[in-house]
Amino acid sequence: MADKKKMSVAEILAAARSADGNGEKPAAAEASPPPEPVAEAQAETPPPAAKPAASAGGGRPSVSEILAMARAKKAAGGDAEAAKPAAKAAPKPAPAAKAAAKPAAPAVAAGKKGVQRDTASILAAARAASKPGPVSKAEAPPRPAAKPKSTTAAAKAPPRPVPPKPTKPTKPQPAAKKVAEEDRRGFLQIATGSFLAVGFTALSVTGGLFSLGLARFFFPNVLAEPPSKFKVGFKDGFPAGKVETKYVAQYGVWVVNGDFQGEQQIYALKTVCTHLGCTPSWLEAEQKFKCPCHGSGFYKDGINFEGPAPRPLERYAIRIADDGQIEVDKSRTFQEELGQWADPQSYVSV
Amino acid sequence: MHASPFFLSDVAGFLGGYYAFIAAMNGVFAFLLWRKYGQPGWAITWSAFAAAMMVLASLALSGAPSLVPALPDSVRNVVNALSGPVLYSLGTVALFTVLFIFRKFFVQSMVAWTILNAALVLMGLSMADQNFAAIVMKPDNVPIVGLVFLLAFFTWVATKQAVVNDERIARGEPPMEKLNDEKVLVWPDLVYTELICMVAVAAFLLLWAICLPAPLEEPASSVKTPNPSKAPWYFLGLQEMLVYFDPWYAGVVLPSLVVFGLMAMPYLDFNKKGNGYYSIAERKFAYLSYQFGFLVLWITLIILGTFLRGPNWNFYGPFEYWTPYKVEVLNNVDLNQMFWVQWLDMPLPRAAADAPWYSQLGHILLRESPGLVVLGLYLVALPPLLAVTIFRGMFAKMGFIRYLIMSNLMLLMLSLPLKMALRWTMNLKYIVSIPEISLNF
Repeated sequence: MADKKKMSVAEILAAARSADGNGEKPAAAEASPPPEPVAEAQAETPPPAAKPAASAGGGRPSVSEILAMARAKKAAGGDAEAAKPAAKAAPKPAPAAKAAAKPAAPAVAAGKKGVQRDTASILAAARAASKPGPVSKAEAPPRPAAKPKSTTAAAKAPPRPVPPKPTKPTKPQPAAKKVAEEDRRGFLQIATGSFLAVGFTALSVTGGLFSLGLARFFFPNVLAEPPSKFKVGFKDGFPAGKVETKYVAQYGVWVVNGDFQGEQQIYALKTVCTHLGCTPSWLEAEQKFKCPCHGSGFYKDGINFEGPAPRPLERYAIRIADDGQIEVDKSRTFQEELGQWADPQSYVSV
Repeated sequence: MHASPFFLSDVAGFLGGYYAFIAAMNGVFAFLLWRKYGQPGWAITWSAFAAAMMVLASLALSGAPSLVPALPDSVRNVVNALSGPVLYSLGTVALFTVLFIFRKFFVQSMVAWTILNAALVLMGLSMADQNFAAIVMKPDNVPIVGLVFLLAFFTWVATKQAVVNDERIARGEPPMEKLNDEKVLVWPDLVYTELICMVAVAAFLLLWAICLPAPLEEPASSVKTPNPSKAPWYFLGLQEMLVYFDPWYAGVVLPSLVVFGLMAMPYLDFNKKGNGYYSIAERKFAYLSYQFGFLVLWITLIILGTFLRGPNWNFYGPFEYWTPYKVEVLNNVDLNQMFWVQWLDMPLPRAAADAPWYSQLGHILLRESPGLVVLGLYLVALPPLLAVTIFRGMFAKMGFIRYLIMSNLMLLMLSLPLKMALRWTMNLKYIVSIPEISLNF
C-alpha cells in the first residue's frame, strides 16, 4: 500500500488499465471497502465464509474465468442486479460452489466499472486503495459501489425466503427477551434509580449545607486572635530599666521602660526582627535583644547594633487609657529610621 | 565542659562498633592489597593499623569511661579557643588551595586512604566528647556527616581521573575516556542499573528512617523562635550568607544569580577543551571558579552552619557547650557612619523632617555617597580594569557582552567573601544602607 502511494499518476493509470485487462487487482482494491456492508446484508451467511469470499484475492478461479463469467452474465442477463442474486442464490444450495461463485459479485462490479472507467475514477480508486484510513467524500466512489449491493440485498430477499427467516427471528428474539426481562429488572432499575436519586439528592443537599457551613467560618463570631488593643496595667508596674516579657507569647510585644535619647519613656517594641522576621529573645544578663536566626542584636531601646538587622525594632502605639492604665495598640507601628519615634503616640513619658 | 558521667558508658558501645568497623575495613583493604594488587608492604602496614583499631574497639567496648579513647582535654580546649569564623573561612580557602596545588600528591590511593582513616579516627576520638557527639550524632545532622565523606570521595575520584588525563595529555596521549569509548545501550544497561539503584536507595532510606527517626518538636508558634533556629541543611549556606547581607540580597538576589550564573555557564565558556573527559589543566579557570563557588562558598558554609553555629547564631568550637548565654561582641556599623562620623567627625547628613522629598532624597544620596562610590568602582570600573590586565586574553576571546556578564557574575560571587572579610576586619555592616526604602548592600 505504502509503495502504491509513491507511484506516479502515469504508473497508477497504467497499472489500473492493465489490471482492468486482467481484472484482478482493482477488483481487490475496490472490493475491500464494501465487504462489511455485504456481510451485514447477508446476515444469513456465516461470517467466516463471507470473508474469504469478499477478499477477491481468494478467488482461486482465475481472473479470466471470472471475467468470462461476468461477461456471460452481462451478455445473457444484461442486468447486473438480476445476475447477482442468481450468483448469490447459487451458493446456498451448493456450498461447494460458493468459493467459485462469490468472487463473481465483486468481479461483476469491477467489470461494470471497467466500461465507464475514466482517469479520475481510476486515480480516486488507486488513492483510496493506497489509503487505509477513513475515506473522504472525494474518495467516495467505492461506496456507491457498495450501496447498490445493499439494495440488491433487499432485492434478493424474495429468492431465498426460507433460510434467512429462521435466522432473522433469532435476532429480534433477544430484544423480545429484554422486553420480558424489563418487567423483572424494571423493579431493580426503579429501585436502584430511586436509590441513586435519593443518594445524589442527599449528597448535593449535604454538599450545599457543608459549603454554607464552610462559608460561615469566614464570618466568625469570635476572633481567635487577641485584640489589637490591650491594657498592660499601670505605670508603676514598669520600673525604670524593666523589659516586660510576659506579653510576648500572646501579643508579641515587649513593654519597656527605658531611656531613649536621654528621655525616660515607656514604649512597646514589636517582637519581630527587622532582618528576616524571627522572634529575638531578651537576654537580661547582656541587656540586649538577640535574634536566634542570624545573630542580630538590639539594645534595650530597640536600636540595632550587631548582626545583619538593617534597622531598629518597630514600636507599637501606646497611650494612657481613660482608666489610667497603659494601653498598647498593635494596629499602628512607628519606625525609627523614618523619624516616627518622635511621635508622642509611640511612647508614654514617665 | 559539660560531661555527664553516664555519657561515656552510653557512647562506648557505639564507639566500639565504630572502631571495629574501621578495623574490618582496613583488614579487607590489606587483604586486597596482598592478594589482588601484590603490595605486601602496604598490606602489612594496614593490617597493623587494623590491629590498632581492634585495640581501640576493645578499649571502648570495655565500657569503663576511663578507657574509652578520647582526645585529651588540653587539645579540645586549644581547638575551641582557636576556632572562629575567621579561622574557619581562611582555613577552608587555604585547604582548597593546598588540595588544588598538590592534587597530584593527594590523588594517590594510599594518601587518600590515609586521610580517610585519619578523619575517621579523629571523628571517633572526638565523639567521646559529649558536646561534639550531641551535634554530630543528632539525627538531622547525620546526613551532613555523610555529605562530608561522600563529597570528599566524589571530588577525589573526579580529581584523580583529571590528573591522570592531564598527565596523558601532556605526554600527547588521548584521555582515558577516549580509549574506552565503547557505547552501551540505554535499555537494558542504564535502565537496569537505575532500577537497582532505585530499589537499593529506597531500602536504605527506609532503614534510615526507622533507625534514626526525625525529631519532632513542639508545635510552631509565630512568637517563639527555637534557639538556634536553623534552616534545612541545604539552605544553611544561605543562612550563613544572610548573616552578612540584607535579606533581599542574600535571600533573593544572590540565589537567583547562582541559578542564572549556572545557566549562563555554557554560553560564557569559550574553552572547547575538556569536553567529555575530566581535565583540570586544560580548564583551570572554569574548574577553579566552579569549585571555589561550590566547595568553599556553599558546602563549607553548610558544614559551618550545621556543626559550628549554635544558639543566637554564635560561633561555637567543635567541643564547646552550646550555651545560649555566650557573649560575643559583634558590634558593627554602616559605612556611612564610619565615613561621616568616625573619619570626618561630623553628623550624618540628615534632612529636616518636613523637608520636601527631593531634599530628603538628596540628603540620603549624600549620606550614602561613599558606599555608592565604592559600589560603583567595584561593579562598573573594575571589569574594564580587569579586561586590560589579568583577563586580557579572556576579554579578547569572549567579546564585550559575554565578558561583562562573566566579570559581573564573578564579582558578585566574590562579594560574599569580601563582605565577610570586611565584617571581620572593620566591623562593617552595610556598604550602602538606605533603611528608608529597605535597600542595603
